[in-house]
Amino acid sequence: MFACRSRRKLFISQFENAVLGFGFKAEAKTGMERMQRPLLLCAALILTADVAWGQSPPAPDQTEQIRILLERVQELEKRVADLETRPPAGGAAVLTATSAPAAATPKQESTESPVSPAQAHRHESQETQATVHQMETHYPSLQIRGFGELNFSATDQKGTTSGFNLGQLDLHLASALSQKVSYFGEITFNAQPTGYTVEVERNIIRYDYNDFFKISFGRYHTPIGYWNTAYHHGSWLQTTIARPEMVKFGGTFIPVHFVGFLVEGNIPSGGAGLGYSAGVGNGRGSTISRPGDFVDNNDNRAWVANLYSRPAKLYGLQMGVSVYRDKIKPLPVPPSGTDFREWITAAHIVYTKESPEFLAEFANVHHQNVFTNFVTNSQAYYVQVGYRLPWLEKALKPYYRFEHTHVPLSEQVLTNQDLVQSILGVRYDITNYASFKGEYRNTKRLPTEPRVNGVFFQTDFTF
Amino acid sequence: MNATNKRFAAILLMMIWLTITVQGPSTAQTTKSGDIAVVVNSDTPVSDLSLSEVRKVLLGERQYWNSKLPVTLLIRAPQARERDVVLKVIYQMSEAQFKQYWVAKIFRAEAASPPKIVYSNDMQYDLVTAIPGAIAFVEARAVRPGVKVLRVDGHQPGDRDYPLH
Repeated sequence: MFACRSRRKLFISQFENAVLGFGFKAEAKTGMERMQRPLLLCAALILTADVAWGQSPPAPDQTEQIRILLERVQELEKRVADLETRPPAGGAAVLTATSAPAAATPKQESTESPVSPAQAHRHESQETQATVHQMETHYPSLQIRGFGELNFSATDQKGTTSGFNLGQLDLHLASALSQKVSYFGEITFNAQPTGYTVEVERNIIRYDYNDFFKISFGRYHTPIGYWNTAYHHGSWLQTTIARPEMVKFGGTFIPVHFVGFLVEGNIPSGGAGLGYSAGVGNGRGSTISRPGDFVDNNDNRAWVANLYSRPAKLYGLQMGVSVYRDKIKPLPVPPSGTDFREWITAAHIVYTKESPEFLAEFANVHHQNVFTNFVTNSQAYYVQVGYRLPWLEKALKPYYRFEHTHVPLSEQVLTNQDLVQSILGVRYDITNYASFKGEYRNTKRLPTEPRVNGVFFQTDFTF
Repeated sequence: MNATNKRFAAILLMMIWLTITVQGPSTAQTTKSGDIAVVVNSDTPVSDLSLSEVRKVLLGERQYWNSKLPVTLLIRAPQARERDVVLKVIYQMSEAQFKQYWVAKIFRAEAASPPKIVYSNDMQYDLVTAIPGAIAFVEARAVRPGVKVLRVDGHQPGDRDYPLH
């Protein structure tokens, strides 16, 4: 402090003499003084620089060290708080990536007597074991997550009314039964004009041998294309309010559900990131919008195979193809016969990084009458683009989807589902777990029918 | 130029010089921050992964080191620098996207549980040391003995081309 003061005093006097005095006392200067002036000016600058450096922020290394030390202090504070709030016998729930930090509890006063270093070491070791024990997965480890939604719709279609709709209440269940066996389930409660219906959407038990071979049994979303397996009943998971027509729940274009077994896994392929799933099951039921939940109605199993690629160098991109084969016996029986061979081929390409998001999918449904060999082909596709805007903490995501379905008039299994539809909408993420969506839809079905315009709103969430 | 002007000019020059002097160290602070090391349990049968392989592990697309050893993902709680680097460089996601990704992943039946959250480096070390197959991300300067530090794209933390920082 004293050194600093004297240096400052020296600096001020030299500054006055050398800089501020320049021009005032010029007439009194001797040759010696003239030589001293530049020297004094240099000294003043050096001293000023010294003062300035003293006030400047610390060097980068020091800053980094301070930051690390602050983090360390925070960690230690957290650890102390954890130790103070931990119950004696342990048993806290395992914390996961999606769980919120535990709420702090009041500190407990300690009356323990001082302990020896050996006791302290043993105590620390016990605490480490307790931490590890808490963080290890316990079996079964059931996780339940719910999804809900509320919708509003209004269209200019004659005979329809606008209004609110509760949509689906959806419960997802996931539970690791052991290191290699897991259970997944999904139950929906669907609002109907006369009450609610309950549906078991998925019910799967899976055994993982390794990354390349996993086998499961149960009721699935059929692995045809992308959307049907990527997004389930929780609308919050998907960008838009509704699913594309070709994969809509309760629809008939592709069999949305599948009862049987499935093998799946990665294929060793380096940067190509190949994966597969293949399965055998009951296929469509007599009501072709439903799978054969109880038994196969024609004793002829369906099979499905899906191959996809997630290239390592194009993170976010997925491309895939799917094939589905079945022999179906729809009810009511069509006039030309009862049995049809069904071939479904599908392809998809998606980019899911959100800025931008791009989804495109195509499916062809081929039906052949077993008795007459009469063949029909129906096609459907959609293209959806979205972009998460950089403003408002990236909460806004406008999107557009075009979809087209064509079912020939000669088709005997599917009812006519012709559709040309454009959807323009925006998704706003209110929080990490809830969103609000608004959509305008322009829909045209049969050539003889007028276009229908509609506005749709939805708030959806997970809990 | 009168005396007042000269004095004013001298003070102005001095202030400019001081400003430059003070600003100097701040601009130098934009140096590279510390690397984040990928550490695994010492029994894990890997020592070198490409960045895309690390990404596959963190995305839950690779869930087993081998058929007997599952991967246990450990990720620091929000606000920790390690987590920020992992989200930015590997996941390339925001915090919200990361949470949404794991909700969707689990309920697509592709994973049974999300990464485990750890609140301190001590906790990370305890868990990586104790749980076979555990993988975590720590400040390279704070790496302690007893864990295996993986090379990423053939580089160790501290190398010029090391990608995690």
